[in-house]
Amino acid sequence: MQRYFRLVLFAAVMLVVLAIPVAAVLARTYFLAPTTQPVKAQPIQFPHQVHAQAMGLDCTFCHRGAITSAQATIPALEFCMSCHKVIPWQGRPELEKLVQAFERGQPVQWNKVHQLPDHAHFVHAVHLNFGFQCSDCHGDVAAMGKPGVKQVRDLRMGDCLTCHQQNGARTDCSVCHY
Amino acid sequence: MPRWGMVIDLDRCIGCGACVVACQAENNVPINTEDVYHQRRAIEWIRLERYWEGEYPDIKARYIPVPCMHCQNAPCEPVCPVYATYHTSEGINMQVYNRCIGTRYCSINCQWHVRFFNFWEPKWPDSLKNQLNPNVTVRSRGVMEKCTFCIQRIVKAEHQAKLEGRQLRADEFTTACAQACPTDAIVFGDLDNPESRVARLVSTAVNERGYRLLEDLGTEPSVYYLKKVDLEAPVEEHSSH
Repeated sequence: MQRYFRLVLFAAVMLVVLAIPVAAVLARTYFLAPTTQPVKAQPIQFPHQVHAQAMGLDCTFCHRGAITSAQATIPALEFCMSCHKVIPWQGRPELEKLVQAFERGQPVQWNKVHQLPDHAHFVHAVHLNFGFQCSDCHGDVAAMGKPGVKQVRDLRMGDCLTCHQQNGARTDCSVCHY
Repeated sequence: MPRWGMVIDLDRCIGCGACVVACQAENNVPINTEDVYHQRRAIEWIRLERYWEGEYPDIKARYIPVPCMHCQNAPCEPVCPVYATYHTSEGINMQVYNRCIGTRYCSINCQWHVRFFNFWEPKWPDSLKNQLNPNVTVRSRGVMEKCTFCIQRIVKAEHQAKLEGRQLRADEFTTACAQACPTDAIVFGDLDNPESRVARLVSTAVNERGYRLLEDLGTEPSVYYLKKVDLEAPVEEHSSH
């Protein structure tokens, strides 16, 4: 036994060392998957539930760029204020933040929820034009309440490619990567 | 399906370098400093080659803007071990940055020296931080990059046509170099669309004084050049080939 002790020890250490990258990759895939990320805190707890569900506003009523351009765009504060100047905000802390930001002329620094890498270019307009609904990728945002919007779909390259293949879209690298 | 190509009229080119600057601005090409040139690692997706013709005092400066030739039979493509460079269905030789592992075989195989390697993380002076084009990836250290025929503009125009439910019109958009050219020497467009300026040039002027750089290598470049018309030049023996 004593004779093989060093060999066994060496093998055990090597196994552990080699297992680290495997474990790291697995951890990245399972625990760091975009859909399992916790909800990001936003500077203002914006209730999509109130706007999109209770009020019944269309997504593109505020995210206007989605129909015409690559970015869905977040509306300017002026756009929020076109309704909110007549809606009482006193005593409602989240709305007070909005009005204060508007009065100071400071834009709200929203946190991006759906992060695509820089080398992937997604164009909202063509996808909506093809007939997709916002909820196909973003899930039922209208039902996501106070905690904030959460990413529900993986949105990694395999996800994009599967959908492109199913719908007969081009799968050329240069369709998205340029 | 369009087939993109370019015609560069050397008779019109005055060597101002506007195309080079426009390309750098459009495609987030890092600023080349002096020491970068000394190391021969400057990145210029389109460069201006200057050469002299004649002896002083009868000397003339000649210029050739050299972008990627987008060869239909590109020597850079088969040597890539990871298929990071490939040919699109629209005749563009594309570089997929996220796939590239930086072997640099492609740049060795390119006879025109129009492929560039990022030896460092690209840096811009603080005053230029906000001028980066959001539609173009900023290439990181360790990947090749090259002229893309401004594919971001192509994609944008194609998407716009799709949204409006129509076909792409001839000369609806152009590349940054062609747009910036003050003498209109660079013409970009769809070679397969008979209405486009580039196709008309290929069917007329290219027959008279057209050539392609290193054409005899048989790589079928998509960039055509039109010879300089020099009225003072001595009459050459007509060379047949």
